[in-house]
Amino acid sequence: MAEIAHTASSQLLKLRSPWGELFRKEDWWAIWIGLGLIGVAVAFFAGGGSIKWIAVAPQKWSHLSDVTQQLRQHGLQYAALFVLWAVAFGIGAAALGIKISRFLPAFLLVYLAAGGLYFLGQWDQAAHYNLEPPLVALGIGLLVSNTLGVPRWLDPGMRVEFYIKTGIVLLGAGLPLTLIAWAGPVAIVQAAIVSLATFGAIYFAAIGLGLDRRLAATLGTGGAVCGVSGAIAVGGAVGAKKEQVSVAISLVVVWAIIMIFVLPLVSRALGLSTGVAGAWIGTSEFADAAGLAAAQTYGGYAGSVPGIAGTPDAAVSAFTLMKVIGRDVWIGVWAFVLSLIATTRWERTGVQSKSSAAEIWNRFPKFVLGFLVASAVLTLVTRGFDYAAYKKEVVPALVAPLQAFRTWAFTFAFLSIGLTTRIREFASIGARPFYAFTIGVVVNVILGFVLSTQVFSGFWNRLGQ
Amino acid sequence: MDFGTGWANEVHAMKRTDSAACRQCKHFRNDAKHVEAALPGLSSLSSAYAAVRCDDGICAVHERYIAASSICPAFEEGYAYAFA
Repeated sequence: MAEIAHTASSQLLKLRSPWGELFRKEDWWAIWIGLGLIGVAVAFFAGGGSIKWIAVAPQKWSHLSDVTQQLRQHGLQYAALFVLWAVAFGIGAAALGIKISRFLPAFLLVYLAAGGLYFLGQWDQAAHYNLEPPLVALGIGLLVSNTLGVPRWLDPGMRVEFYIKTGIVLLGAGLPLTLIAWAGPVAIVQAAIVSLATFGAIYFAAIGLGLDRRLAATLGTGGAVCGVSGAIAVGGAVGAKKEQVSVAISLVVVWAIIMIFVLPLVSRALGLSTGVAGAWIGTSEFADAAGLAAAQTYGGYAGSVPGIAGTPDAAVSAFTLMKVIGRDVWIGVWAFVLSLIATTRWERTGVQSKSSAAEIWNRFPKFVLGFLVASAVLTLVTRGFDYAAYKKEVVPALVAPLQAFRTWAFTFAFLSIGLTTRIREFASIGARPFYAFTIGVVVNVILGFVLSTQVFSGFWNRLGQ
Repeated sequence: MDFGTGWANEVHAMKRTDSAACRQCKHFRNDAKHVEAALPGLSSLSSAYAAVRCDDGICAVHERYIAASSICPAFEEGYAYAFA
């Protein structure tokens, strides 16, 4: 009976309602949570107060005794913050179909581990020992999940995309709308050049190697547009074989994780400014979560590694403009165009897809709307303040607490990436898809580097100032 | 407290759309948990709950990952794996 009930409700998932979309996709929940927090923060600020009590974050420390002192002083705040996140993400997770009784214990562990990593990042020797929190989170997660193994009961709490999208919406509060309008067109031009070149390289290399067109398109979009999300969007739009989508996912994840370590390392060796490095990472990383881990790592070098110019936030800002505005928002267009070609030009598969321009909106990454609204709200709220007043009043009472929320959300995501990446479970990739995708990686990285450090370097450097 | 497959889904997803499309087929399954289980690595850097996925799912007959609006001659109305 329970099976029948479960199956019947599963069947309901197949049916679609325009309004149901607002509550059954994590993009929208990221918006509700992100904008909800921003709304409360703005309301407190307008009333002369601040949410900084609950937006608690570790402060710089030198000795372990400093950490215990911070925990003693702010223990209640950390507990309250956990309750806030647990309620917000718990409601969202429940609406998505994740049992809340399974989500909460898993999330508690994620929160505690993320707190530990957040504290580690505030150690005054962390940069000296290369202990950047995103890399440490990823490294520990990968090590644990691929050696000891992660208990399955933790899975419901490790929602990488849910956390990263919420963090990106909150990030919008730190980027003025005027900056997005100024930098957006450049990001779109640079991203378009690299996306088209990378897709072409992967697609034609795959065809040249004798691979199926649907696999070629799925690999190409995974490498050129938005990683795993791009691969599943186009895989579904063109009706790829299940194992072809699996191959694309495996390749994207493996290369994205390699790039999390490689791009900041090379940028550091070359002494790139934070704005330029962020733009390069945004052009050449394959997934939002992976790229933000790399960009936040590089931003952490500003001020602590000699020779790296720019503000810490510039790396994340440039990355977000390039990746989210320049690449992610176009996935619906890619899916529509490729589904049109697949249905009219490619060999038949036994399943007939329907190509429709509605695809452009249906597959649009809706969390981007939250990012833009957040930016607009903060731009409006702060428009009456001059620079001195902004620094003195707005930053500590409004901007800094929202930045703390964002860092928490990103840290949940970075930790979850490593813990959910179980390499032995990946599909067997095969040599030809690997070669085709790797050709695209080479094109992507070189072209992204040239555009970020040569063609548009002046622009990205200015962003960092 | 257990919300099963998601209260939002159950409350809002009752509307029947185009008949004889894969979304009504017993061979088609597109609930997020099933999709994530069938595509290892998906939840590492993306998600089956993402808007970009729309309602795509897996056809057990063709072993393809397809849009819910697709059609094919093997269509059979019913609940996927209802009494399997």
